[in-house]
Amino acid sequence: MMGNNRRKLSMVGLALVVTLLAAACSSNKNSGTTNQGGAGTAQKGGVYRTALSDFGFTGGFDPTGEYLGLAWDMFSTMARTLVSYKFVAGADGNKLNPDLATDLPTPTDNGLTYTFKLKPNLKFSPPVNRAITSKDIEYAFERINAKPLVAQYGFYYYGVIKGMDGNATAPAPISGIETPNDSTIVFHLTKPTGDFLYRLALPATAPVPQEVGKCATKAGDYGRYIISSGPYMFQGLDKLTVSSCAAIKPVAGFDPTKKMYLVRNPNWDAASDSLRHAYVDGIKIDVDSNVDDIFNKVQSGALDGSLGDQPPKTILRQYLTDQNKKKYLHVDSGDRTWYVFLNTTTPPFDDLHVRKAANYVMDKAAIAQAWGGSTSGQVATHIMPPTVLSDQLGADFDPYGSPDHTGDVAKAMAEMKQSKYDTNKDGKCDAPACRGLVMVNRNVAPWTDTEPVVVTSLAKIGIQVKPRELARGAAYQTTQTIKNQIPVGLNAGWGKDYPDAFSFAGSIFSSADLVATGNPNYAMIGTTPAQVKDFGIKVPPGWVAPTVDSDIDNCQKIPATDPTRVTCWAALDKKLMNEIVPWVPYLWANVTTLTAPSVTHYEFDQFSAEPSLVNIAVNNKEKLGS
Amino acid sequence: MTQPALTEEQTEPRLQPPSGPVIAARSPWQLFRSRFMQDRIAVAGAVTIALLVVLALAAPLFKLVVHRGPNDLFGSTMLTKDLGLPKGPNGRFWFGGDTVGRDVFLRTIYGLRTSLTVAIIATGLASLIGVVLGMIAGFRGGVVDTGISRLVDIVLSLPILLFAIGISSVCSTSPNGCLHGLLQPGLSLVIGIIVLFTWPQMARIVRGQVLSLREREFVEAAYSLGARPSRIMLRELLPNVVAPIVVYTSLIIPANILFEAYLSFLGVGVPQSTPSWGRMLADASSGQLFTYAWWMLACPGAFLLVTTLSFNLVGDGLRDALSPER
Repeated sequence: MMGNNRRKLSMVGLALVVTLLAAACSSNKNSGTTNQGGAGTAQKGGVYRTALSDFGFTGGFDPTGEYLGLAWDMFSTMARTLVSYKFVAGADGNKLNPDLATDLPTPTDNGLTYTFKLKPNLKFSPPVNRAITSKDIEYAFERINAKPLVAQYGFYYYGVIKGMDGNATAPAPISGIETPNDSTIVFHLTKPTGDFLYRLALPATAPVPQEVGKCATKAGDYGRYIISSGPYMFQGLDKLTVSSCAAIKPVAGFDPTKKMYLVRNPNWDAASDSLRHAYVDGIKIDVDSNVDDIFNKVQSGALDGSLGDQPPKTILRQYLTDQNKKKYLHVDSGDRTWYVFLNTTTPPFDDLHVRKAANYVMDKAAIAQAWGGSTSGQVATHIMPPTVLSDQLGADFDPYGSPDHTGDVAKAMAEMKQSKYDTNKDGKCDAPACRGLVMVNRNVAPWTDTEPVVVTSLAKIGIQVKPRELARGAAYQTTQTIKNQIPVGLNAGWGKDYPDAFSFAGSIFSSADLVATGNPNYAMIGTTPAQVKDFGIKVPPGWVAPTVDSDIDNCQKIPATDPTRVTCWAALDKKLMNEIVPWVPYLWANVTTLTAPSVTHYEFDQFSAEPSLVNIAVNNKEKLGS
Repeated sequence: MTQPALTEEQTEPRLQPPSGPVIAARSPWQLFRSRFMQDRIAVAGAVTIALLVVLALAAPLFKLVVHRGPNDLFGSTMLTKDLGLPKGPNGRFWFGGDTVGRDVFLRTIYGLRTSLTVAIIATGLASLIGVVLGMIAGFRGGVVDTGISRLVDIVLSLPILLFAIGISSVCSTSPNGCLHGLLQPGLSLVIGIIVLFTWPQMARIVRGQVLSLREREFVEAAYSLGARPSRIMLRELLPNVVAPIVVYTSLIIPANILFEAYLSFLGVGVPQSTPSWGRMLADASSGQLFTYAWWMLACPGAFLLVTTLSFNLVGDGLRDALSPER
């Protein structure tokens, strides 16, 4: 998600920004800096008051299409899925648990059939007030399959579940999903898909009551009156009239430009939900475009915590140096990699030696400093963050390492000497291809602070780049349009969609991911000759794209429950770094959150990589009317 | 000792008229100079500008002395270990470091070069275009005047900053710049944008002056002697509009320095490798960094203030000296 745009990306790109901003930080369980705010005991009551600079939704908050990490965090309060997470930090928060389903099924029929039983006593929030049935879940898939509703990550289901291709003109029954009774749902797949359960934990699969959902015929509409299956619901949802489609109006508690206020869903049965503690009585999220103001309010106690936005370094400094404030600073792993991409279709990066030299020479320590030092994350030494690979491949795998990560100029020059672009073999690129390379960047910190480091580092091996600083959306659009053939960019970041490496490596290095616009495969890994022709791009004579398509397919065949699956992904990461070298990865970013003393229990949701709205407790006396 | 002055004194009475003060005819230049020199504040402004120009020209010397350039990074010494916050002024880095550990002093001095380059080239080009078009419009009248005047009106009614941001962004998004690579983001684009938006005022002022001058007797006299229009424009009219041109030019220089700073502040100006005060101020204000790293705001800010103030003072002085009737 975010930052991790996928195919529908042009929209996602916009959304990204917000998430990315948010994602700029996160903790890493490795760094051990995560703090639990306030005293230990969590109690019920109060209202969690927070604010963010911009929702930045990619799909109007309609779970069917919404692809923003922050939105997925908010969905944890109102959109339960068959399986889900505990919404806690670290490895525990990346484990699947049954949620609406009674247990995690083992696939039958050679991995092609998944059967779920629903828990009893599941009920939709007001004004629907009826039991949640398997048909409501099936209806969610009908919506994903309906083209007009723009399911931005529908590719996780199309071609996977029988009968789903994303081309339906309106929600209609799907041949691969059976609902023999109200509490049973059966999925038939076209091919064994090891990570299928993770895909059933994505918010788009949460039950939607057809009597309301049928009224939302445009993408995003349903986001304004989501019928809740979780512990919270929009303020004012109970006053919604659902007797006719004409009567359905956006509810008072949610305005994407201003606020989202959530109150308790009276129909939520705590006994049916072991994943969400739902300590607070309400959640108040306001939009405040002034990020500095948000953090001032958190410091003064007018807000209970930040959400999505990253604190400026000056404020961070106060929290790091003041022992009394330190406990209100929470740093968690964002399960996200920030990187410089190298486009293999454009000289000089078509040459593996040049790409390796770029990795050797990069002063990653200086980049990490520009991002805010160790609080901002950990220097990335390979593609996938260790947390996504169950720590099987950690920072000790550092194929282009140097002392303190400051870059190894000697090795870089030695590598460059082997390149055809270094004609006089002095270790510096001297071919015209190395001059005036357009490097796309974003126009805000920390990217702007990263730029001089990258420019200086690449200059050491004779690569002269021309930085172009663009607004977030423009930067993504420019780099994601294949025809532009941007040779190098440092606006790129990718975070997991779910805790399996397929949503990481599998999504951005396969030839299937190449699309003319909104292309997340910046390095053009796996480009086929036919695609070169289709996209109308120019490639160096005799160029053959490096590819990992078969490696991805091989890993994807292994069920998620099989430990060798992670080993397979780790091996792919190694291969990418040693033989393909699509990027210079530089930071595994953290998410940093500040809270006020009113927060008695802080929790981080590892799945969305945002503060866990369903597991935070406060001791304020705030009230939020229904 | 010998006193040659005495000899002069002896001869003096013979040359002097019998009575009354000396009345020497003074050229307009002498008049202007003496009036300007009496304006202490304007002179101070001119001296400051001269110093700034010397400083800008001497920037590479500083580079030689301190053995580092404005784009060299000193992250390991000039940034804090924990958060990467810049460190303040010290013996080596007189104005401290910036967000990536660059020398703020060197960047300020090089920023001065950028500001002056942009201001002088852009103002020169804008004045040239403005004078030529204003002169033609005022002298020719008719359709030509209408055409040029409407063009002036149109350009003046454009939302300058929005347009500048737009042009700058558009030229940045395509890999080859815009107009088939003619306009590349950077110094030349910034200069182009400034010229585009500052020539109309000059054209309007010159046109107004020419409009009234062309009815004067000396122009009619030139006509009756058979002078060609080009000669009349260049030899008769132009010398008479020099005063407003000089005054107005001196006043748009500081405006253009600020314009460049605005553009760079908004991130659509010169690239990072070209130090710019606007950009430095933007870096200082991002995330309220100036509350901690005051030097990042104070140093380029003070230079920007002093530079624009000096140009404005000199401009005022020039106006007073050139048109005393006001």
